[in-house]
Amino acid sequence: MITAFFVLVAAGVILSFIRILLGPTSSDRVAALDTMNVMLIGTITVIALILKRGIYLDIALVYGLLSYLETVVISRYMEGRK
Amino acid sequence: MMTALVVLAGAIMTVAAVFAVEAKKILDSVIAMSVVSLVSVFLFIAMRAPDVAITEASVGAGLVTAVFLVALFRMKGGDEE
Repeated sequence: MITAFFVLVAAGVILSFIRILLGPTSSDRVAALDTMNVMLIGTITVIALILKRGIYLDIALVYGLLSYLETVVISRYMEGRK
Repeated sequence: MMTALVVLAGAIMTVAAVFAVEAKKILDSVIAMSVVSLVSVFLFIAMRAPDVAITEASVGAGLVTAVFLVALFRMKGGDEE
């Protein structure tokens, strides 16, 4: 079960990273970066479930807030640049 | 299983760092540097260091990207090459 989760997440990370490397526009790269952020938050939560320690959930919380802020800042920059 | 994930994370981190240096647009460099910080958060968690991971998440994902983009927005026309 856990192994299947990690294999699927690894496949998703590899595909998103390929899109970051050869995406034609910057919008593709921002969307792929946001996808990688969401997959990392899920991975951190599953690692907290495996290790049975609650402090890893704090990392997931902080990273969720800050990755949202990051996506919003990049989008505002791309909107204002024209 | 964890070893294979760490090797994959290291490979992604290296390629993203090279891409951040070699990218044409500065915005793509900022995005690739954010990928490097994302992967390093996972590596700190894999090395069982949650406090360092919290610090890296708040600095790498929030502060560095925001400061770089605000500086890039103030600096008009700095996006070509």
